[in-house]
Amino acid sequence: MSTVLRDARGQLLVLAGLAALLATVPFWLEGSARTVMIRIIISAGVGVGWNVMGGFAGQFSFGHAAYFGIGAYSSAYLLVDHGISPWIGMAVGAVLAAAFGALTGWLSFRYRLRGAYFALATFAFAEMLRLVVQGQEWLNGTQGLQVPVLAESSWWMLQFSTTSPNYFLVGLGLLVVLQAITILLFHGRRGMFIVAVREDEEGAEASGVDATAHKVMAVAVSGAMTAVMGTFFVQVFFFIDPALAFGPAESVAILLPAVVGGTGTLWGPIVGAAILIPLGEWTSKIVRDPPPFLDFVAGRSGIDLMVFATLLILILLFLPKGVYGSLAERFRR
Amino acid sequence: MRRTRYLAVGLALTIALAGCGGDEADPEEATEDGAATETSTEAPTEEATETAAASPTEAGTASGEGCAELVIGSVHPLTGGLALDGTQMDAATQMAADDLSTDGLSITIASADSQGEPEIGQTEAQRLIQEGANALVGTYQSAVTTNLATVAQREQVPLVIDVAVDDAITSEDNDYVFRIQPNATAMGTFGAQYLQALGENAGEPIETVVYMHDETSFGTSVLAAFEAEAGNVGIEILETIAYNPFEVQDVTTEMQRVAAAAPDALVVTGYYNDGVLVAETAASVQPDVNAIVGVAQGAYDLPQFPQDTPDASNGIFDSNYHFDATKERVQDIRSRFEEENGDAMRTAAVLAYQAVEVIATAARSAASCDGADIAAAIQEVEVPEPLLTFPGPITFDDSGENENAQPVLMQVQEGEVLQVYPEEFAEAEPQFPAVPWQ
Amino acid sequence: MSDAGASSRTGRLQTRLHVPRWVWGVVLALVVLLWRWTEVSDLAVTPAGRTIALQALTTGLLIGGVYGLVAMGLSLIFGVLEIINFAHGAFLTLAMYLTWVLADGVGIDPYLTLLITPLLMFLVGAAVQKVVINPAMGQPLENQLLLTFALSILIENALLLAFSANPRSVRLDYANASIGPVEFPLRIGGAIIELPRIVAFVGGLAVAWALFSFLNRSRVGTAIRAAGLNRTGASLVGVNVDRIQVLTFGLGTAVAAAAGVLVLPFLTLEPTTGTQFNILSFVIVVLGGLGNIGGALVGGILIGLTQEIGGLLFPGQSKLLPVFIIFIATLFLKPEGLFGGGAE
Repeated sequence: MSTVLRDARGQLLVLAGLAALLATVPFWLEGSARTVMIRIIISAGVGVGWNVMGGFAGQFSFGHAAYFGIGAYSSAYLLVDHGISPWIGMAVGAVLAAAFGALTGWLSFRYRLRGAYFALATFAFAEMLRLVVQGQEWLNGTQGLQVPVLAESSWWMLQFSTTSPNYFLVGLGLLVVLQAITILLFHGRRGMFIVAVREDEEGAEASGVDATAHKVMAVAVSGAMTAVMGTFFVQVFFFIDPALAFGPAESVAILLPAVVGGTGTLWGPIVGAAILIPLGEWTSKIVRDPPPFLDFVAGRSGIDLMVFATLLILILLFLPKGVYGSLAERFRR
Repeated sequence: MRRTRYLAVGLALTIALAGCGGDEADPEEATEDGAATETSTEAPTEEATETAAASPTEAGTASGEGCAELVIGSVHPLTGGLALDGTQMDAATQMAADDLSTDGLSITIASADSQGEPEIGQTEAQRLIQEGANALVGTYQSAVTTNLATVAQREQVPLVIDVAVDDAITSEDNDYVFRIQPNATAMGTFGAQYLQALGENAGEPIETVVYMHDETSFGTSVLAAFEAEAGNVGIEILETIAYNPFEVQDVTTEMQRVAAAAPDALVVTGYYNDGVLVAETAASVQPDVNAIVGVAQGAYDLPQFPQDTPDASNGIFDSNYHFDATKERVQDIRSRFEEENGDAMRTAAVLAYQAVEVIATAARSAASCDGADIAAAIQEVEVPEPLLTFPGPITFDDSGENENAQPVLMQVQEGEVLQVYPEEFAEAEPQFPAVPWQ
Repeated sequence: MSDAGASSRTGRLQTRLHVPRWVWGVVLALVVLLWRWTEVSDLAVTPAGRTIALQALTTGLLIGGVYGLVAMGLSLIFGVLEIINFAHGAFLTLAMYLTWVLADGVGIDPYLTLLITPLLMFLVGAAVQKVVINPAMGQPLENQLLLTFALSILIENALLLAFSANPRSVRLDYANASIGPVEFPLRIGGAIIELPRIVAFVGGLAVAWALFSFLNRSRVGTAIRAAGLNRTGASLVGVNVDRIQVLTFGLGTAVAAAAGVLVLPFLTLEPTTGTQFNILSFVIVVLGGLGNIGGALVGGILIGLTQEIGGLLFPGQSKLLPVFIIFIATLFLKPEGLFGGGAE
């Protein structure tokens, strides 16, 4: 899998081209389609974050909602209670998430948790955060935090009019940064070592690589990246509560794009998000407004999610390395 | 073809608006209007389309020239754990639209599934607005409604909340959000007052209670309001016991704590499943209380509750919002609903119906389909003869709360849920003291 | 420190139960804590306080037995197939709906459906394994987890479509009957025990015993154990591992189904009901040791007790918090599970 990593400059060029192309989106796509694009970007962003830990470092996280929630709550709390800019909140959230990731990661590696055990431990950490946060009065408990609506658009407060292209552009910018970090990291020495540890931990250790340090670093970076998107999520949706931030549903939503696109591949999470979100939209549209031959499904709640789940199962079964991962492999052959 | 004509109208409008647009936001707005016009070609009746053609204002740009085609977005949980109420509410908005449409005003409902998730609810609401919805109705859950309130404010489209209890959803800063049902504060406050009146009228005052509630924002906020009022009416809360409504499988230990505290009444706030569990456990443990009283309890006001738990329900009270069973119009709506949908119409669905009526009334008086105009009209509206047990017409205060929102006290008597207090809504006398095991 | 979840994909199914002495120590500690509670709480040392303490113990034990039963199915599946089955709770719900149809529609006593529902669910589980899970064997953990997650969405929404979200319930006519001098609900020293909860606990133990006997005594059971201990080795000695995996998944699902039947008389049924067991089951399975079936049963009871006693000691906190604290502590201190050792 590591051979996917070709030269960094090439990948960055692809990214720049893609970003330039996507930056035109708000100028020819508006309305709900643009909202869908923003959701794709958030999904891709958290997926890129997860992929650093779950894909490249091979440490399967089933509790990435912990980092997402830390990012979301850090900025929401600072903004709602102290009027501090979400940009600062974003940085604070990223640092806290990295610290939390480093601590829990170090503990887990120190006690040699792997595979299913490691996954369940990450899950438990996220659940604990959820339970703790919902007991905190100063974080408004189970009611969550609501971002106040400003009269005027503001870059500093990261709030724009609903018709403004800026949400999309900011999200795109963040995604590009996260993806660029991933590209640079895994074309550099550190990233190579992280992948080497995943492939053969003992071998890597034997050649002088500190396995634990590299794994912890991957977790911290991954956590910080996911937290950034958590802050962006709050700014777009104006609201966060413990279940939304730290719930198991969020953990699953974070690992979905990476797995569907292809874990441990540079472009997998982005491809995955670009498939999954429109797929979900499309299935609910089918039920809302079915073509004539499917008239009987009209308005039957549940069918859309059944279709979605079935398609997800088919993707997982027939493209086990993810859509991008499987295609990339075939292409190379 | 007619369709092309409207497209042309929409396009012309788009260009016209884009032309006179001053700042950067305008072009988008205009294009959305184009989309809205396009949506209107799918009008249900020929007649309505004709009217629409006569005045292209339904696209929501001009005001004061009448509203012919009102599109109301309905956002409810149609899948997931809350789907039962959600689908009922959605069906009720549809029924209200059919009932309240006239030659002059055709009402269409655009439905969306929030899936119980705030971000999906928000995305769907935005989609509805962009596809031409002039107003929103929803959403049954506080978290989702909080999100929609922001959308309403930012898109300048009114949101009439049918069900959602959190106080914080409405505020004086938000001129686009209105709530018909009593909020958490009203629920808790009236709950305490009814409890006090219940005891006093029976000559056996209720002075102490134990309060069991779900630990979500619903239970905690109603409890907070109850606590605040309890002191005023001379009720002491001996103990509060919280539980997780989605995971609770046994409350026997909790019920033993109730028994140990031996209060005059057990007060309960929560949802359906946990409410049933609490009632059944109380019947087993049989604590020495004079009554079990739900405050905004989601089970004890439903006809299904005594059917599901015949041995553990008789005599249980619930202070909750409720359709006014004494009104003929309500009986008519409910029987037609049951005919069409199979299930008995719940109060949540009646509230959804009422929400559509509020919007329709306001749109008529505003003579405009523009969101901001409708919102301004709702602020001034007076909807007489509410479908719920409110003491007066529906009117809204500065923060958007229904000034006459008030719950009613109900009691399960011989397998039926009956309104018992205040007197003007009473179908039967309250029986107190009363517990299911006596 | 053993290497939990070592990268090798050999199973670690364990079908015998060794409860080390210190586990009894833990139980004793819980009881002492509880006693301490009766002294420090507002209730002080009153008969009422003692009743509550006794109730917490009884309830924790009874509900824990049910948790244990659900978790046993999950642990069995993990022990042989090494997948975290997210759809376990959804299968439980499906079984409950089957039972509801049989009890409410056909009129069969809910407990008699123990002879029908698990059998049907065995077939469902086996079919699902063959069609959906088997092709994904050997794929990374996250793929399998998402696969079972998608399955659970599929099942939940199919149930929603078929039965609507209207809550259903099955209640026993004889829940409050008296058998001879014994009256239900049972009262022991002030503690209340409802009949269906006793049946659920005893029934759970019976199902556990049946499962143990089957795994340890029957030919198929031996094959399952062999596959669970060493897949390659088993196939070398002529065990058809593919078929064993189908059987095991069916069996695990049937155990969940039995649990579903047993809890139906005291829970309210909705398409999402079973899912609430998922999280606790994960915790219990790790506590007992992944693949350690007896451990799952004891782990379930320990978690039941922890929940109830934790609820008394920290009344303001979520009952789940002490559960997760114990979970994390176990992962770090004894990752092979509380009853581990000797599996590999």
